[in-house]
Amino acid sequence: MTSPKTAKRLNRILAMIPWVIANSGASVTDVCERFGYTRRELAADLDLVFVCGLPGYGPGDLMVAYIDEDEVVVELADYFANPIRLTPPEALSLLAAGMALVSTGQAPPALSSAVTKLQEVVVGTDTETLVVDLAEPPFVGELRRAATDRRVVRIVHTAIASGQTSKRDIEPWSVFATLGNWYVRGYCRLAGAERVFRIDRIREVELADELFTNVPESTEPEIGYTPGAEDVRATILLREESRWVADYFPVEIVADDPEGLLVRFSASDPLVIARLLLRLGRSGSLVEGEAVEETLLDLRDRVLARYRDQG
Amino acid sequence: MQRVIERILNLLAFLLTAAGPVTADEIRTTVAGYDQGTDEAFHRMFERDKDLLRRLGIPLELAPTDGWQVEQGYLVDPDAYALPDPGLTDDERAALWLAAQIVRLGGQVGAADAVFKLGGAPVTASGEPLAASLSEGAEDLGSAFLAVAERRLLTFDYRAKPRRIAPYGLVHRRGHWYVVGAEGDAVKVFRMDKASDIEVGHEAGAFDRPAGFRAADAIPQAPWEAGGEDMTATVLFDADMAWWARRQIGNRGSAEELDDGGLRVELPVANPEAFIGWLLSFDDAAELVAPPELRQRLVARVEEGL
Repeated sequence: MTSPKTAKRLNRILAMIPWVIANSGASVTDVCERFGYTRRELAADLDLVFVCGLPGYGPGDLMVAYIDEDEVVVELADYFANPIRLTPPEALSLLAAGMALVSTGQAPPALSSAVTKLQEVVVGTDTETLVVDLAEPPFVGELRRAATDRRVVRIVHTAIASGQTSKRDIEPWSVFATLGNWYVRGYCRLAGAERVFRIDRIREVELADELFTNVPESTEPEIGYTPGAEDVRATILLREESRWVADYFPVEIVADDPEGLLVRFSASDPLVIARLLLRLGRSGSLVEGEAVEETLLDLRDRVLARYRDQG
Repeated sequence: MQRVIERILNLLAFLLTAAGPVTADEIRTTVAGYDQGTDEAFHRMFERDKDLLRRLGIPLELAPTDGWQVEQGYLVDPDAYALPDPGLTDDERAALWLAAQIVRLGGQVGAADAVFKLGGAPVTASGEPLAASLSEGAEDLGSAFLAVAERRLLTFDYRAKPRRIAPYGLVHRRGHWYVVGAEGDAVKVFRMDKASDIEVGHEAGAFDRPAGFRAADAIPQAPWEAGGEDMTATVLFDADMAWWARRQIGNRGSAEELDDGGLRVELPVANPEAFIGWLLSFDDAAELVAPPELRQRLVARVEEGL
């Protein structure tokens, strides 16, 4: 296979030529900025184009390409007057990225119009065939601005698993979305360590006057659950209607029987597993896990008490 | 690298200007760069070059050179080669480029390559403290999108069953990619990361999408909105969880704040089972008030759970 570098270089040449043809008199600076060239790289590519063309390969058969003072000249290359059609993955990557930002309601108008125009030529706009929904909870905008300005923020956050609400000062480094949720990552002064918070669990955000200076080198945050030593474990039988649980939670599959899927579940709080079991009703049952059983019984009593009160 | 690029530019110039399909032999004897080496060396080189052309998105086809169909030749249709011009402004190109920097799709797709094809964009520094990843289940998205865009059939394995669908659309919602399509007469939704052995049909335009099709409608925003029933439920949320309820409900139904800070909500429900499941995620901080039969169902679900 030819190296990806060769493919990238060729792609850039076949994109640059049509643009220069369509914008005659284009300056070196403009072409370089637009296609990410240094002047030297551009000159090298033009030299290469200059020795290529049609069979015969004499003057008149070869393309003409050179830099004239500050102007880029390409002639006798009419067969390359059009850029190459986008591949489906290329079209998708641009459309999906554009639509995702448009769906947040924070995209500039130029992005919305770009998406519409691109969609029109790729899939048409008479039916809606591609949808990217990255709905934002409140405060994403505020937290992003705070991260840009490096401003300390005071947040009120509720951990849904345990129900605990806390007030914390954090130094927000970045805001990101993954697996359908938005997160803010930064230094939490209450914990004295780096933390990642789900933004939809933040109830209030207050900007402080204070700015912070220390931002570590950006690393890709890993969002995912890794069982810890103090975690609660339980084994659960998921019947047919509840098999989806294995798709949505980080479980370990123990056995796949006709009776159902046997999975091992870990969580930082027994309430997480108990709540899921309550929700599954008959279609999921606890096979093993004392702490979870206790919590489940208590949870069930609490819920039923609420319904018994007013009969 | 230089020699490869020169050879390919010559080959492409030749194919784009040829009057009809040209055989590999013709290419070997006519196009500069192919004329040296053994048969085997030529074929190896030519295979590599074809592969490269296709990777760039160049529609290299094989077609008979004459009516007798004795010989096959290569063909690049200039119309199929050319990007239909979307007529983007520089601001629009720059906005797309920036969006592709912020929102990442898995895989090896270079957004830069795509933006170059569209006419390039002045590169803006991307120090944005915002990023989004749509990569969950994204490996085969390119194939699925090809099938959607060109109306080709899609086959794959899903939950241990082989499927063959007419893919109407592709949706990213709540962190996952879904393909919406017709399997027989039924329109179904499949999660992309659960599909394996994905293959795209050879024939383009193999089906028609229903007029006015909207992919977003196939995947409801809230789980309890996907169903066939039609009822209105009344729910009370305690004060300390009212914010969370409000956030998840969004602008559906109607909500009324109570004196104690709690919330009284009336919501349309299409899937009672999913609705009950969602309400139970509030533990005892939510109470389903009406209709009575839904309330009984909730109680029954909780009682049967052990």
